[in-house]
Amino acid sequence: MGEVAIRRPLPSRSTTERGHMRILLLEDDRQLGPWVAGGLREEGHVVDHFSDGKEALLAAMGQDFDLLILDRMVPGLDGLAVLKSLRASKNATPALFLTALGEVDSRVEGFEAGGDDYLTKPFAFAELSARVSALGRRRSTGGADTPETTVLRYGDLSLDLLARRCERQGQPIDLMAKEFKLLEYFMRRPGRLVTRTMLLEQVWDMSFDPTTSVVETHISRLRAKIDKPFDEDLIRTRRGEGYVFGK
Amino acid sequence: MLSIVFAIGMTVAVSIALNLGRDAVLQRIDETLDGFAASVAADDAPEDSFSVIIRPMSELQDLPREFARVARNGGGTVFLENDYRFSELWRAIVTEDTDGTEVLIAVPIDDSEEALELLGGVLWTTAIIVVGVALAIGLLAGLLAQRRLRRITTTLDRLARGELTARTGVERSSDDLDDLARQLDTTASELERLVAQTRHLSASIAHDLRTPLARLRAQLEMLPEGEARGAALEEAARLSGIFDTIMRVARIEAQQGTEGFDSIDLAELVDEMGETFGPVVEDSGKSLTVRTTSAATVQADRQMLVQVIANLLQNALVHGGSEITLFADGVSFGVSDNGAGVDPSQFAEILKPMVRLDAARSTEGTGLGLALVRAVADRHGAHLSLGQETPQGLRVALKFAEL
Repeated sequence: MGEVAIRRPLPSRSTTERGHMRILLLEDDRQLGPWVAGGLREEGHVVDHFSDGKEALLAAMGQDFDLLILDRMVPGLDGLAVLKSLRASKNATPALFLTALGEVDSRVEGFEAGGDDYLTKPFAFAELSARVSALGRRRSTGGADTPETTVLRYGDLSLDLLARRCERQGQPIDLMAKEFKLLEYFMRRPGRLVTRTMLLEQVWDMSFDPTTSVVETHISRLRAKIDKPFDEDLIRTRRGEGYVFGK
Repeated sequence: MLSIVFAIGMTVAVSIALNLGRDAVLQRIDETLDGFAASVAADDAPEDSFSVIIRPMSELQDLPREFARVARNGGGTVFLENDYRFSELWRAIVTEDTDGTEVLIAVPIDDSEEALELLGGVLWTTAIIVVGVALAIGLLAGLLAQRRLRRITTTLDRLARGELTARTGVERSSDDLDDLARQLDTTASELERLVAQTRHLSASIAHDLRTPLARLRAQLEMLPEGEARGAALEEAARLSGIFDTIMRVARIEAQQGTEGFDSIDLAELVDEMGETFGPVVEDSGKSLTVRTTSAATVQADRQMLVQVIANLLQNALVHGGSEITLFADGVSFGVSDNGAGVDPSQFAEILKPMVRLDAARSTEGTGLGLALVRAVADRHGAHLSLGQETPQGLRVALKFAEL
């Protein structure tokens, strides 16, 4: 990923404003395509929308994008084949698969082809938007958030990944293993929308909806420990969309 | 084993052949003696010689005693030990001479006995060679057949593990074993085709249903904010949730072999699930106890086991009592509660997909939870059991096969 990022000097094509990206969208559905493209444009992204796999591949090979959003089943060349060709020619642009083939094996296929995330239809636009920002951010990641970082800090909160210690305003906070993992996930994405599904997948390794309120319950426990005793709340709920950590 | 039977059979056959040969020779000698006696008068007979003895029954005194004994029996074989005057072996019969006098007539049979021994030697040598050659051929044929049989069993094993591309690769058909191998290949091809077809079909169904669901979702999201929009979005989410579960059950049922299996420590699994679901159970005013008793490590798909536990806990939360236990015991794991339980006569019923007992109609749920649990159990060759807790409550357990 880093290799290509370094070789991208064109300012006009790279991320101009904070979080705004140039996105290639491959989606042939006449309703979903414009809906996704429109939604992303409203958020300030520049979107090139294709409904044919071959055209999308040509475009992706000829121009620089910050993110590829690829539908699995499209005419011409399907999204999986497009990404395989790109990865074979050392193109490392982050890619998110959209698919109506939701099963676990097709997820695995998607990741094996070099995909970075996988979203099953139907999805809420907020879900897509959250994953798009997460991927865009991954690309422009600075030193503060590399996996090698051993202490994560946000304001008066710190999380020591090696000593497995959490402190806020100098007071030690005792966290359960899952709460620790949850907070680490949030602290690596300050200011970003994180959805319930993202948390289930990343923190609990569940690619299904457990129907019980696992995420809500653990977030409320975590809040009781890191937010309640202090004046400023760090984890905020965005109704119907997810959670945001920090400003 | 078969070779031992064969060797014994060969021995018996040679023995019988030798006995028959001896009897035939003796009978021929007896006939000759009879004819000879009928052509001479005992009184005219020459003195005893090395080649023939013929004398009336009343004059047997000076002959070795064995002759008298044999004469009383009407004839037979006489064996003389250490008698230098006579040959060792004589054949004697009692008959009448030309005068009608009852006489004993005997001839030495050492020569024919020697011939018989020689014959026996030849027969035995032949038998040993035949047995040896037959065994060698049998062993070779057996090894070849075993190798072909092993190819068939290996292919069957691989098919059973879900490697649907496994074939014996036998092209020509020269015997029953080849026919069997070729039929196996044909069946495997058909199986592979059917599985591919089913996968393709379920992928098409998934695609054809998810796409309109996605459009529905998109259209709902484009509506202006409001209570109706929220409620509709919730229903759409529920709809796709049910569809997801149906597809998941179908997928688990279609899978074969040990693809996706890892070593799973059941104690570790239930501990982690306890930490994940414990707070959820507590927040709904119930209690969750995690109990592990010398839990084993099993080969399983972790995601599937996690979902089983999630479903069982969800069931216990909605339908069960206030005390819920998540347990791992040996090669079993499961969930129990102290609620009203389920009547044992309805155990079979609640495992069917989409079946919800009348008592559960008013509560939430799709009726797919236990169907998924059963599909996962089948996938792992594990035994799914429903039982009653004492004094009351339902206990659902998955028991893996012991290693």
